[in-house]
Amino acid sequence: MPTTRFASTSDLPTWAVVAACVLATASLLLLFVEMRRRERGGALIVVTGIAAVASLLLAVLRPARISARESVVGARVVVLADSSRSMALPGDDGTARQEARDAAIIALQKSAPDARLLVLGFGDGPPQPLVSGGDSRAPRSDLTTAIRALAASPDERPASIVVVSDGRLDDPPEATGEAPNAFTALGDELHVPINTIATTQTAPADASVRHVSASGAAVAHVPMSLRVEIGCGGGLACDELTVTARELRDDAPPALLASGLAHVKDGKAVVDLTVTLERAGARILEVAITPPSGDAIPENDHRFLTFNVARERVRVLHVAGMPTNDVRELRTWLKSDASLDVVSFFILRTKTDKTDPNSPNGQAADSELALIPFPVNELFSEHLPSFDAVVLQNIDAVEYELDRHLGELASYVKGGGGLIMVGGENAFIRGGYAGTSLGAVLPVELDRTPGATSDDATPFAPKWTAQGKAAPLLRPVRAILGDELPLMPGTNVLGDVRPGGVALWTHPTRTTKSGAPMPVLAIGDEGDGRTIALGIDGLWLLKFSQLGARTAGRGHGALWDGLLGWLMRDPRFEPAQIDVVGGCTAGLASTLRVQVLPGASDPIVVDVSEIDKTGSSPPVHLEAKRASPDETTIDLPIRALPAGGYTARLRVGDGSATRRDFACEGGGDEWADSRPDPERLRALAKASHGSFAFAHDAASIPFPKPTVVSAERHVVPLAPPWVWSLIAATLLGAHWFTRRRSGLA
Amino acid sequence: MIDLRRSRLWIGVAIVAVLLAIVVPRPARAFGERSAFDPRVLLAGGTTGPAHLSAPARWSWELQQRTSAPARLTPSSIRADDPAIVEAPFVYWSGDTAVSELTSGEVSGLRRFFALGGVMVVDDAAAGGDGTVSPFGRSARRQLARVLPDATPISLGIKHVIYHSFYLLNRAEGRVLGPSQVDAIVRGGAAQVVFTENDLGGALARGGSGIWEAPVVPGGELQREHAIRLAVNIAMYVLCTNYKDDQVHAPFLMRRRAHAISPTEP
Repeated sequence: MPTTRFASTSDLPTWAVVAACVLATASLLLLFVEMRRRERGGALIVVTGIAAVASLLLAVLRPARISARESVVGARVVVLADSSRSMALPGDDGTARQEARDAAIIALQKSAPDARLLVLGFGDGPPQPLVSGGDSRAPRSDLTTAIRALAASPDERPASIVVVSDGRLDDPPEATGEAPNAFTALGDELHVPINTIATTQTAPADASVRHVSASGAAVAHVPMSLRVEIGCGGGLACDELTVTARELRDDAPPALLASGLAHVKDGKAVVDLTVTLERAGARILEVAITPPSGDAIPENDHRFLTFNVARERVRVLHVAGMPTNDVRELRTWLKSDASLDVVSFFILRTKTDKTDPNSPNGQAADSELALIPFPVNELFSEHLPSFDAVVLQNIDAVEYELDRHLGELASYVKGGGGLIMVGGENAFIRGGYAGTSLGAVLPVELDRTPGATSDDATPFAPKWTAQGKAAPLLRPVRAILGDELPLMPGTNVLGDVRPGGVALWTHPTRTTKSGAPMPVLAIGDEGDGRTIALGIDGLWLLKFSQLGARTAGRGHGALWDGLLGWLMRDPRFEPAQIDVVGGCTAGLASTLRVQVLPGASDPIVVDVSEIDKTGSSPPVHLEAKRASPDETTIDLPIRALPAGGYTARLRVGDGSATRRDFACEGGGDEWADSRPDPERLRALAKASHGSFAFAHDAASIPFPKPTVVSAERHVVPLAPPWVWSLIAATLLGAHWFTRRRSGLA
Repeated sequence: MIDLRRSRLWIGVAIVAVLLAIVVPRPARAFGERSAFDPRVLLAGGTTGPAHLSAPARWSWELQQRTSAPARLTPSSIRADDPAIVEAPFVYWSGDTAVSELTSGEVSGLRRFFALGGVMVVDDAAAGGDGTVSPFGRSARRQLARVLPDATPISLGIKHVIYHSFYLLNRAEGRVLGPSQVDAIVRGGAAQVVFTENDLGGALARGGSGIWEAPVVPGGELQREHAIRLAVNIAMYVLCTNYKDDQVHAPFLMRRRAHAISPTEP
């Protein structure tokens, strides 16, 4: 649009123009004061004086005509729409809050057709273009990060921001305490007004587990305090609500760890529960309330939380059937490691031993012996869960009445415990483990037929398998010993490796029924736990032998470090790592990230199944192959899963499996508190000099004025400077002449 | 008559069989006896065998008879300079005369043995009943000071695990009463060299005829029983290390010790 206007010459600074105008005005005022009482010739003096001052001012300003082609550009306004999962919660009219959000955005677009609206969704991280009508999926609602990202962006700075949300934000916090400062700071990020539109006014009828916090890091066997915040609103009658904390366990119903009663006052309650997690690693806890009738959002009645349980010290139960050199060396190693808490029980006397051959019954009095009864019942029932690992070394299960607890031991393994069975003449088949529930969780088959060969006392040197050479748990001992292993005095006869098990050492000549080399050292996963079968009693020879002397006996410790570390899922000894990228939300597809060691090209197999096997979700089987041996990170998409706890088992080639438990929540943090928070939005708008409105009144939000942009501009002086000077001099002279004629100086 | 003789014969055979079953210890219950306790006789400083030839085998026999621990009924012997000295965690060095200076090979071999955590019992077969150390004891200590120059022997008090690793003992005893406590070189918290000045082997030695080879003075057979118990405890210490010092045993042992000290208690 072409326009024409006048302006002073462009070489004058603004202050000079102002100064010239002020001086001209002052001159005229003085002239009027001077002429106020004068009757003769006063009008002529005033006229010439005005003309002189005006011409002098024009001579200074030297006016020019400006011709331009200009256009009006609407203000850039960024609309930050809440795209978190809380926008899927019911709003004021029962529809989802995201519908009110989308309607408000449309109203904004209509109310300011000139404004350049950029609609972005904010949630977790920098804002992203909002897909109109798309589901709100972000696991957080972080407005602060979104505004900071806009401030840091090299794009055109917006003239104002409009936030459309339910107000239930992760950041900034609620409008209490220090929050006003946070709101002001947020407004200062861009120095533009932040206008806010609240999508929802009323809270739905809902009781929920709003927040669960632990008193500190979760440590195995150490009681941990959970603070559970309960919310109840929207007109629900909640006086007392039962709160429970249960641990999801493999192949078993969830175990109730604690429960309490929440007394709801002013719509909220806090309950402290004390739970003790016995197993280390990722454990899934379900914290739930018994909702009152009329609860509109059942998804937030329970939370599935993943606790990464650490170990203060690994508690090991070491039970040996008789004291031998092998027992000696294992105990020496166990006791030398300060990170291990070892409880040992060795059978030092059998029923036939004569502790005092000179006495009539052949037995010394108890007061002469330092022996205590083997507390087999107490150990393997009451105290078993308190151990992270159990080492059964050459102990006869029948003779020492361990057989009645084998079922509990098997359950202990399936529930996440670690078990190592160490060989000797009274281990495995001779020890009465074949055909038992414990035998079934070992990584090798045991021949249960009567008269089955239990051991072979022929000396031999174990042979490394390909999996053994590649296994991270044996890498340290292999680095010390190489391929060489000392001559073992004999072996227990072990059967084929069970599905899921891996043989790391085999016998050089003996074979199993299937014809495979007989395993001597095998590892395997069973349920939530792990087991190791070591069919020899000569590991002490890694220390007391020529090979041991050459290597300063370090091989023995390195081997046990690897075995126990693998049993305890020490990341150093895992062949791979697996995790869920960005967590898992029920009903939404997720991504599993697999990290493997470089150098191999074995196929990667991941099986995902429910922890408690309730059958609500079928298992997921994923396979992948690396593009190159150097590729160490592989992302595997996984379909949407229902809410619950899941186990992902990763296997690379024929190696041992790596396990990762994770939780999928139906609502998660975003649904934990279903109340809208318009007051927070109102406070934010006030702190940043913006406006606030509810969604139905979105059009009332003011927009900045559009900007005029000149596309073409011509500046033409009205007259050359000397003309202005000449006119000014002439008129100044005329004024002087008139004044002289009137008798003025 | 013939029938009667036959029946007597069968009864005799049966009695002998039962006695054998009771008396003859079971064979070691580990693959090839490699993991079993072996009181290996150390040949060093000019010694050519144990001071009491039958003592090591009797030690194994008693251990096997009284405990669940497997033991070699035919103990081996090893030269200190033999590379095979590192192939088992225990050696038994006894003598009744002064030993000669250890060769560098012997010193080196013993150092390798101790470096791996091996345990040695030095048994003074010529110790005096009043606790005087014999030339063997003095010279053995001198030579071991060359092997382990960084450690000196200390007396193991009655609370040491060696006195309650199987039997509850109140003092050390052997063929002679000797000092009430054994000395030891303790390294890394473990007693690696145990010195007995009681002639432990003398109390253990028993000939093929079943007769004890040396009288035990002054306590007679009760003292011999105590000496055997000390030998069993030492073997258990070798095989179980400080197992009986574990916290789980503490209340039991305290009660029994208290009972032993206060016999008037019910």
